[in-house]
Amino acid sequence: MPQGLRRALVAAAVLGGALLAAPAAWAAEKPTAEDCLACHADRDLKRETPRPGRPVSLFVDGAALKGSAHGGLDCLTCHTTATAPHERLPRVRCADCHAAVPGGLAGGAHGSRRAQARAPAPTCTACHGTHDVRPAAALSIDTCATCHAAQVRQYRESIHGTSRGRGDSEAATCRSCHGAAHGLRAKSDPRAPTYHLNLPRTCATCHADPELAKRHNIAVGAVYQLYMDSIHGRAVTRSGLLVAANCSDCHGAHDIKPRTEPTSRVFRASIPVTCGACHAGVLAEYVQSIHGREAARGNAGAPVCTDCHSAHQIRRTEAAPWQLDVIRECGTCHAESLRTYRDTFHGKVTTLGLARVAKCADCHGSHTIQPASDPRSTIATANLVATCRQCHPAATPKFTEFQPHADPTNRARFPGLYYSWLFMTLLLVGTFSFFGLHTLLWLPRSLAERLGRRRSGAPPEP
Amino acid sequence: MSDPGRYYFRFNLYHRILHGMVIVSFLGLALTGLPLKFAHTGWGAGLSHALGGPFTTGYLHRLFAIVTFIYFGLHLGYVARLVLRRRPGVFWGPDSMVPQPHDLVQFSQHVRYFLGLGPRPRFGRWAYWEKFDYWAVFWGVAIIGGSGLLLWFPTFFARSLPGWIFNVAIIVHSDEALLAVGFIFTIHFFNGHLRPEKFPMDPVIFTGRVSEEDWRHEHPEEYERLRREGRLAEVAADPPPLWMRNFSRVVGFSALAIGMILVWLIIMTALG
Repeated sequence: MPQGLRRALVAAAVLGGALLAAPAAWAAEKPTAEDCLACHADRDLKRETPRPGRPVSLFVDGAALKGSAHGGLDCLTCHTTATAPHERLPRVRCADCHAAVPGGLAGGAHGSRRAQARAPAPTCTACHGTHDVRPAAALSIDTCATCHAAQVRQYRESIHGTSRGRGDSEAATCRSCHGAAHGLRAKSDPRAPTYHLNLPRTCATCHADPELAKRHNIAVGAVYQLYMDSIHGRAVTRSGLLVAANCSDCHGAHDIKPRTEPTSRVFRASIPVTCGACHAGVLAEYVQSIHGREAARGNAGAPVCTDCHSAHQIRRTEAAPWQLDVIRECGTCHAESLRTYRDTFHGKVTTLGLARVAKCADCHGSHTIQPASDPRSTIATANLVATCRQCHPAATPKFTEFQPHADPTNRARFPGLYYSWLFMTLLLVGTFSFFGLHTLLWLPRSLAERLGRRRSGAPPEP
Repeated sequence: MSDPGRYYFRFNLYHRILHGMVIVSFLGLALTGLPLKFAHTGWGAGLSHALGGPFTTGYLHRLFAIVTFIYFGLHLGYVARLVLRRRPGVFWGPDSMVPQPHDLVQFSQHVRYFLGLGPRPRFGRWAYWEKFDYWAVFWGVAIIGGSGLLLWFPTFFARSLPGWIFNVAIIVHSDEALLAVGFIFTIHFFNGHLRPEKFPMDPVIFTGRVSEEDWRHEHPEEYERLRREGRLAEVAADPPPLWMRNFSRVVGFSALAIGMILVWLIIMTALG
């Protein structure tokens, strides 16, 4: 080989080496994704943590990253200080780009110190992932289930959850009631949509719409409007009472089920217990009563709380309108008793809107109601005088022989009354028949008499 | 020939005042009582409401009941006074309200007349239907008033009477009231006012005066009897003054209208 050629080859080699080495020197400052994955594509790449035996994986799934919301970004966008190779990097600050969000998180329950101290903590990555970053729209109930597993399990069995499962896009999810995750407030926070006093309005975002009720076969269309006018609704929204029932007190929250399901809190047989959660004293009376005992026996005809008080239109029982309306309610089962009651002074006056006279419950009691055969009954013979004396202070045992549910057409049960009624009826029919005929016969003669008088211009001489 | 301008007294002022009390209290009792009996109807509830609701109508009903008891007492006092003054013919005779054999005879004559089989009977001071009207009110006040008192003071009467008496009282009070209202507003109105000879109304109960022509037509036997006995001058009257005739019309037509509206409502309700 000639001397000149050798020199040229060495020079080329040196130059070539230098050319090859130059990019490597640049990469040492700004590594590419390729550089990073050179190490991080290793599935077994781990970092030791203070807790022995619980190392943290440092594996990065390059394909997942490419397919993620951050697929267009390179590693350094987030890991701004990374070099290759590198020591442990500082925590990625999502807020550098997503400035608007973390502030909200800090203000909400998920950003609270208590939540952040939990493991796993509701950090950005806990919900959105790390390299497989999912946008909010891609997050599902499963994300919430990571921490709130019990609630999500209940939800999945609820009417909202099962409807969602069937593909009903209108059914509520976590966010429908709790709001977006970043600013989410605990239900103890007066600003939370799930706060006791705010919940009715939150449920109303869907359930105030009669069209929605129609679409979903919900029996009560204007449920929100009815509730807001009820004693519970007024107590919550006007008086701001935390102890007054809101939607979830009766229906449950995550476990809301339609009233047709036996596990529902508003299933017919469960209603006394549901109401009794607050009205414990009334429940204790009711279960002893004939209505309560029959309902417990499974008698579908026995009234539960809502049969008399309604569900969403519950009104003050001291007020006359309710006291008068509930008479009709008793009559839906006790039709014959209502009919005979309406024949009495009591029944007629209440029909006209005066609640001061005896109504069903004034004599029979309400939650403590018992049949007359029961010695505890207010209409048991031994208690009748005291019952009548509530309104008629001078009532005597003889006074209680009045029949408040008499049927004058029933000869077997009320013979004296039957014959009085028969006599009066015959008297009326007889009198009106006799004089009706008398008048009809007289009319043409009287007409002729008048015409005759007019024609002659003088009274006819007798 | 009779003079249409000549008038005679048929009712004295006492009679007229008492009948005025009957009209006012009867209409008042009907207006305040029927809404309770027909509480289940729209017009019953509406009338009750218009009169101030069930409490007020109940109050007014008792007030008119007191008026009824007063005129009933005044009438009994009037009869007692006639008896004490040994006025003849209170309980028997042509001026008595007590039904007598000639009433039965005149009734059968009247029916024959209706059927075109005989002449119009010559009625005396009180025709048989007028006596019936009188006794209907007498019986009605006693029965309705008595049962009403039972229902007004139940605990007082229950000291001596069994409680089921109030069940009977409710039926009797209500049905007898229906009878009274139905009878007065149809039969009495027809007999006394609406029948063609008297249509549209006979003001005699307000003016107390009857023209000779009407008297001789309605009560020929009485007229003849008094003429025979030369007592016509005793009952001679001046023609009713204009104010009295106007008063008759206003009160009479109001009562007729109220009565006929009520009876129409009752009939419509009964026909359902």
